[in-house]
Amino acid sequence: MPQLLSAKEQSLFRTVVRNYEDKQYKKGIKAADQILKKNPKHGDTLAMKALIMNSQGKTDEAFALAKVALQCDMKSHVCWHVYGLLYRAVKNFEEAIKAYKFALRLEPDSQQIQRDLALLQVQMRDYQGYLVSRKAMLTARSGMRQNWTALAVAHHLIGDFAEAEGVLTTYEETLKNPPAKTDFENSEAVMYKNTLIAEQGNYQKALDHLESAGKHNLDRLAVLELRATYLAKLGRKDQAEKAYRALIDRNSEHKEYYDDLIEVMGIASTDHKAMKAIYDEYAEKYPRCDAARRLPLNFLEGDEFRDVAEKYIHRMLDKGVPSTFANLKHLYASSSKKETLPALVRQYIDSGKSEANEEPKRHGDTSKGASAAYYFLAQHYSYHLSRDLDKAMEYIDKAIELEPESVDFYMTKARIWKHYGNTQKASETMEHARTLDTRDRHINTKTAKYQLRNNETEAAIKTMGLFTRAETPGGPLADLHDMQCVWYLTEDGQSHVRQGHIGLALKRFTAIYNIFDVWQEDQFDFHSFSLRKGQIRAYIDMIKWEDRLREHPFYSRAALSAIEVYLKMHDKPITNGANGTADVNGEDAAERKRAAKKARKEAQKAEREALAKKNEPNKSTKEGDNDPKKKDDDPDGAKLAATTEPINDAMKFLTPLLQFSPKSIDAQLAGFEVYIRRKKYILALRCLLAAAGLDREHSKVHQQIIRFKLAVDKDLETLAPQVAEVIKSEFNLLPASVSLTQYNDEYLSKNKDCARRTLAALSARKLLSPESSPNFEKDAMATLKLPGTTFEEAKEGLELLLSWNSGQVDAFRSSAAEKWPKATIFASPSA
Amino acid sequence: MDIRLLHPSDIPHVQHANITNLPENYFMKYYLYHALSWPQLSYVAVDVSRPKKSPYDYPRIVGYVLAKMEEDPPDGVQHGHITSLSVMRTHRRLGIAEKLMRQSQRAMVETFGAQYVSLHVRVSNNAALRLYRDTLGFKNEKIESKYYADGEDAYNMKLDLGFVREQVMDEQDEEAEDADEGEPVGQLGKQEEGDAGKDKEKKRKVRVGRGLGVGDLVEKNESQKV
Repeated sequence: MPQLLSAKEQSLFRTVVRNYEDKQYKKGIKAADQILKKNPKHGDTLAMKALIMNSQGKTDEAFALAKVALQCDMKSHVCWHVYGLLYRAVKNFEEAIKAYKFALRLEPDSQQIQRDLALLQVQMRDYQGYLVSRKAMLTARSGMRQNWTALAVAHHLIGDFAEAEGVLTTYEETLKNPPAKTDFENSEAVMYKNTLIAEQGNYQKALDHLESAGKHNLDRLAVLELRATYLAKLGRKDQAEKAYRALIDRNSEHKEYYDDLIEVMGIASTDHKAMKAIYDEYAEKYPRCDAARRLPLNFLEGDEFRDVAEKYIHRMLDKGVPSTFANLKHLYASSSKKETLPALVRQYIDSGKSEANEEPKRHGDTSKGASAAYYFLAQHYSYHLSRDLDKAMEYIDKAIELEPESVDFYMTKARIWKHYGNTQKASETMEHARTLDTRDRHINTKTAKYQLRNNETEAAIKTMGLFTRAETPGGPLADLHDMQCVWYLTEDGQSHVRQGHIGLALKRFTAIYNIFDVWQEDQFDFHSFSLRKGQIRAYIDMIKWEDRLREHPFYSRAALSAIEVYLKMHDKPITNGANGTADVNGEDAAERKRAAKKARKEAQKAEREALAKKNEPNKSTKEGDNDPKKKDDDPDGAKLAATTEPINDAMKFLTPLLQFSPKSIDAQLAGFEVYIRRKKYILALRCLLAAAGLDREHSKVHQQIIRFKLAVDKDLETLAPQVAEVIKSEFNLLPASVSLTQYNDEYLSKNKDCARRTLAALSARKLLSPESSPNFEKDAMATLKLPGTTFEEAKEGLELLLSWNSGQVDAFRSSAAEKWPKATIFASPSA
Repeated sequence: MDIRLLHPSDIPHVQHANITNLPENYFMKYYLYHALSWPQLSYVAVDVSRPKKSPYDYPRIVGYVLAKMEEDPPDGVQHGHITSLSVMRTHRRLGIAEKLMRQSQRAMVETFGAQYVSLHVRVSNNAALRLYRDTLGFKNEKIESKYYADGEDAYNMKLDLGFVREQVMDEQDEEAEDADEGEPVGQLGKQEEGDAGKDKEKKRKVRVGRGLGVGDLVEKNESQKV
């Protein structure tokens, strides 16, 4: 039975609540203890005490106490609410929702509980639940506009645009006076309603609404853009044309406006002359506009292209715009443009026009004229579609000769070294560029990146440390974590992979995983914030983006790297026996066990220390510090590396990858690798089918088809009949009448000019008939002789031979070193 | 380079551009706070011609301006603030920074009735100073001693947006004339046509953007300074 409090204690209880809200935790605990002295089983007080303890970082104790509170008073909404809040704090949202619902059943009129529930429901994308909650909240307080807007949002998120629109209209009808023109909340609500009308496909109505209610809307750009879209959709071409022209006048650097203008004017995409006239008009109207000058290069051909490109390039080189090449390289998809552009630059140099520039140069920037032209050609020959690295080097050296202080030139020189495969020189050259402008973080960033590529992890963090905040406890690396510096963590992780530091590599990739968790969690506060601010369209945008957050390449890159590491960890014990060479990629099983033991010991030690610390009277923790930073008990990732189930750990990274990036072939290939090792054949097959659907000829797809067949055949006896049946009916990637060997041979002969595919087929052949491997090794050697082989492919060839423990490794290496004399990777390890 | 509004989905790459170029960095939530509080004010420059590397390729951001309105301005005057602006070193000299700034300034006036825009800049950052002072017309307001984490001073600069306001009103007048062809011009129209003095008075009255309880999301962290 719940205990009842005296009047004095009731007032004390209110103090506890206030202390909690004011983050005066010690005071709150003291007051709670005072109540509990007389009423040790007072549920609400126990619950409040638990809540405060949780804020002090004592999560486990808080949960224990909250359970006691519930035992004392099962019928208290406070106890259930607190229970929910605790779950919420540890991000167990499902349990939190359940607890809130209990609380709400006991106290249906509580605004606070209802609100907390609603926020969690939308965070968890329980839109139906959210709708119910928002309806209740509207009924309770129908005077507040945001409650109406919120209900509309709930309908909208479910996909019921008409209902959402209706809710907004109902609210509008309750208004006695029209809101002021400058009422921002109203202004945004009008635009929100307008987009809801358009989403239903009713463009006429949307246009009418825009031209009446939205006429003086504060979001001018949105009005102009939507109006143009509606007019275009409604086929009112003259007006649409005018509307798009108004938009170009606002922002002449937005490609879409030109595209749309040309479309509503009814100009055929083949009518280059008419199209060009439009761009010319704006190039003349806006002398500083880049888009109107550059965009015609996309569609013009032949002499027309040449004339326009010449003007454009001259203008850019005269100005010394460093991004000239970057802005034009997409044109290289056309082979004739790929010829024309560098020819124009050479002409520019020969004409001597470039000499005229005598203007004093800015510190470290790209200069104008001849050096800018050389710079362009250096980039041209460094680019993969027009690569001739020796020429690239020649041109960049010419540019540097004219302009020895140019950061940009040295940056490009470093990139050329990178393309040579010489990470050492690349890193040194970038470092030199950095010294030319030590105040610029961009060059600093590049230097650190190149150092990581060259496996100089220590030097890289030092470089980064020149720009990270000095006072961050934990140094530069902690600052980079705090600031969610995804690129650095990823590159650092990959660098550790190359150096065989499994723990640190996994640590970094896990850090990326956690950053994405934080990014997902970040939206929580906006569920209430955006309603208060009234910025609904931006909020909906955010929700839709968050829904597919992990499709971002920042995630997939780290996830794929992590999976690769886990796969290697899984495979290592098997291949270990035969492995005599100094393979940097692995710790063997025994070593891993030792590491595991060490990690366990360290964790226990850390726990003991933490406990001891907790029991100390800790004076340094200030009251109000509700987020005690947890110390990382595994800074080097030793625990991660000590895993005995790497394949299970890989699932953590794989699941979001497959869910959000199903059209990424790398994701599907990785999925296959994980599932085949787990002997989940149907799931492996699903990935394989998806990958084959994306690129049937992909070297890895070919390999996986053969491996799948071999694996299934081997396990045929033990397969569940249903599984065998599914495989039989769905695995249609192999022609029925052909043996695997034949199939592989056909692929090989079809792709004999492609090193990567040849290597894949050889690797498959090794599986099919391991006894004749010396021949494969020779064939692998031969891929070096193929004219199109890149040094990346050669690297893969080397890795393949290493994995076979081939006697040809050294020969392969020296032969590759001959072909790529500047590359560091083929230098013999002892040299 | 394509110049357009910043969308929430741009944020990871904006964050990347920021931490690549500048020592003053922010976590994602702070970018979201801008994008969701003043979605009209932040712009990005995007490399749209770059061929997609995968079906999930996001546009690469080569420049951005992250802007806000001052919450509860101490002087009571609505004004904008540039939180961060940068352009990749490889994409300079195309006037991207200036174009980003102009778009943002215009929206500050149109949507939030900003009277002026302020920003901080390192006293040693000559390139930025040239842009703000010479190209955009900012004036030095004062020096803030040791504003930056590394101890450097900042210029606090301001730009009166009166000229943008004039421009916006002129355009609206033109539009009104266009749209109201033949129809009787309403009282409002007459006033605007009438005299410039009244015009000015009207302009001063514009006060937009209420502080709708955003206190808890405003970052107090010092690292969030420009």
